[in-house]
Amino acid sequence: MSQKGLSLPLLLRRSLLHRRGRTAAEMIALTVSAAVATALLTLYASLDQKLHHQFRAFGANIVVTGQSSAGNAGLPANALEIARNTAGSDARVVPFVYAVAQTQSGAPIVVAGTDMAAVRQMNSWWQVSHWPETRNSAGTGGPVEVLTGVRAAQALGSDRFELVYNGKVLSAQTAGTLRSGDADDSRVYLPLDIFEKWTGLTPTTLEIQAAGSAQHVQTVLQRLRRALPGTEIHAVHQLVEAESNVVSRTRSLMLSSLVLIAMTVAVSVLATLTASVFERRRDFAVMKALGAAQHRVIVIFLAETVLLALLALVCGYVLGCGIADLIGEWNFHTSIAPVWRVLPQVALLNVVVALLAAAIPMRLLRRLDPATLLRGE
Amino acid sequence: MFSRLILESFLRQRRRKLLAALAILLGTTAVTAMLAIGTSVGDKITREMAAYGANIVVYPAADALDVEIGGVNVRPATAGSYLRENELAKIKNIFWRNNVADISPELPVTASLTSGQRTVQVPATGYWFQHTLHSTDPSSGESWTMGAPALHPWWKLRGAWPREGSSEIAVGSELARQLQLHIGDTVLAQGQPVRVAGIVSSGDATDRTLLVPLGLAQRWIGHPGAVRRVYVGALTKPEDALARKNPDKLSPKLRDRWYCSPYANSIAYQIQEVLPNTRAEQIRRIAQGEGTILSRISGLMLLVALAALVAAGLAVGASMTTAIVERRQEIGLMRALGATRVIIAGLFFVEITVLAVAGGVAGYLLGSALAHHIGDQVFGSPIAFNPALLPATLLLSLVVSLAGSAPSIWQATQMEPATVLREEG
Repeated sequence: MSQKGLSLPLLLRRSLLHRRGRTAAEMIALTVSAAVATALLTLYASLDQKLHHQFRAFGANIVVTGQSSAGNAGLPANALEIARNTAGSDARVVPFVYAVAQTQSGAPIVVAGTDMAAVRQMNSWWQVSHWPETRNSAGTGGPVEVLTGVRAAQALGSDRFELVYNGKVLSAQTAGTLRSGDADDSRVYLPLDIFEKWTGLTPTTLEIQAAGSAQHVQTVLQRLRRALPGTEIHAVHQLVEAESNVVSRTRSLMLSSLVLIAMTVAVSVLATLTASVFERRRDFAVMKALGAAQHRVIVIFLAETVLLALLALVCGYVLGCGIADLIGEWNFHTSIAPVWRVLPQVALLNVVVALLAAAIPMRLLRRLDPATLLRGE
Repeated sequence: MFSRLILESFLRQRRRKLLAALAILLGTTAVTAMLAIGTSVGDKITREMAAYGANIVVYPAADALDVEIGGVNVRPATAGSYLRENELAKIKNIFWRNNVADISPELPVTASLTSGQRTVQVPATGYWFQHTLHSTDPSSGESWTMGAPALHPWWKLRGAWPREGSSEIAVGSELARQLQLHIGDTVLAQGQPVRVAGIVSSGDATDRTLLVPLGLAQRWIGHPGAVRRVYVGALTKPEDALARKNPDKLSPKLRDRWYCSPYANSIAYQIQEVLPNTRAEQIRRIAQGEGTILSRISGLMLLVALAALVAAGLAVGASMTTAIVERRQEIGLMRALGATRVIIAGLFFVEITVLAVAGGVAGYLLGSALAHHIGDQVFGSPIAFNPALLPATLLLSLVVSLAGSAPSIWQATQMEPATVLREEG
């Protein structure tokens, strides 16, 4: 048995190449199992981040205001810049300033100044018929293009109107109407620079959207409190609490699905390997008849299985990353990058499943009686 | 003879049947559970989304503009018009009445509060706390308990909510700190003694206001039965292209579909129908956000269910191949004894059908029980048995089992009986 021609690698190579159909079936089963495990684990690993990203649809979850019980206290001049630097690159920060102006009929109306481009990004739920041009006619002396809430538009009656604040008149032109279903519907929004020039007020509120878990929001909150002393900063509890709840439930659901599917895949591997042993009983019987020890036959079989499992792992991992990415594109409209740390988990799962699946057919091997088998009974 | 062959096969080859049966059982269990979860996850998450509060607001159509900054309404309390409190039960008469989970009227007022020597003007809002709303149809005898706390789950209360019709109030935590008010204190509000029943912390502008029973706020402004606006929490379906259409411009058939879908827009529309001279609007920040999350999570779970489907198909197919491979010799013997290929194929297909149906039914039951359990664990409410999944599961298990075994059966019947019998033992 120690002849060169029958070394283990050679035996393995022959065995794998000789019955191509069988090897292919095993490879497919093991590859699919690795691919499904990789895809689900990758999805699971990036689930929190992807979901929290989706929760941006709810807008700002941190609000910074000037500290004053009287209401409209301005923020420090550089507050916006500090907040942008502190909150992190993926956070959105939008400045707001409000004033109560009078319409031509003398009725009070809330006018707000904001960064139009930034608010458009953050408040994605705003239904706007037409956004004002970012560089509008401020310099030319014509009316200012504004965004008018639907209720405000109804009350004002006309697209061209004048607003009075502290005796100063602003002539405005509605570029588009805004529908949100809350207080915004009663307001008129103008670009921040024009608002500041008109009223002399500077931003009083920063709305910040820090995408992430409740813990992350809390960290950002603490950092902001240190960076912006003298301001009032609070999280929007309404959003933060509900968000963690939904994310954690989705994660548990995903985990149960993962276990269930992993079990199903394991059965398919088990079935395939059993068939493989069965088809090759004769080969093993010949080996035994030629004097191979029981353990050697088993080692060959196991080595074959592990080799296939590892090979399938590589193919499955690549395939699984592709599937995860595809699901990300379909469902979250962003790609999902391969997560390296799932590789050991998938490897462990694949090899364990393969060995487990091999253990059952191995019992068949052990009971093999070469004489009976070879005689053809 | 044929039926006896099948019976004997099941009685004598129990071990071989076991693997195939196990694969079918597990595959259908996984598929049933995943499909049950995938189809009901939207419903479950919708209920979780109730934590975001109201998604529809109703206000008088002729109302003056809100003058609200930072959650504080600075509009004079006398301006504008009101809704009538006694008409609110009509909201529970709309087509989607069962989707209306909560109704919370609000009446913002300004109150003068005297505590010790100090008198301050503070914003106050009249709410229902635990209001019993009776159906407008007295014969039905239905009633619901509704109010602001259920629509604001993020409000943290110390003490108790004010009782309806009492002279009790709750105080926002920030205001309570400023005025050094404690639970059980008695203060003068609008000249009348009121008792502080609870202190509310919300993290928003409510912290600086008084929360009072609606009746009390109405007495303060001298408008019995007046309500400024009503917040409605409704279980809705994510908005799609149809939801955004104007119902009055749709064809009658499409309009019916629009009307009979629980979109935020159609529920708002139906509220406007039962409460004339009002405007009902979806609160887009909440309604749209909920829609986004809902469609993403449902989409994700359906894709995962699809993965389960593929995995189950593979498992069943592989185990069927195995089952046939193991029985090649038997096939050879039958062929040698003169059985035609059709008879042999028929025999195997009947066997597999029996296995697939039995495994499918058992898998359906097991999978439904599993989904029930997972729903209970994850959402605190079980996922109901869905009978519609039974035919789907059965069909799937049949198709996959037959398709998975057909190639092997074909291969086995093509072999020369002599070769098979000699080759394998």
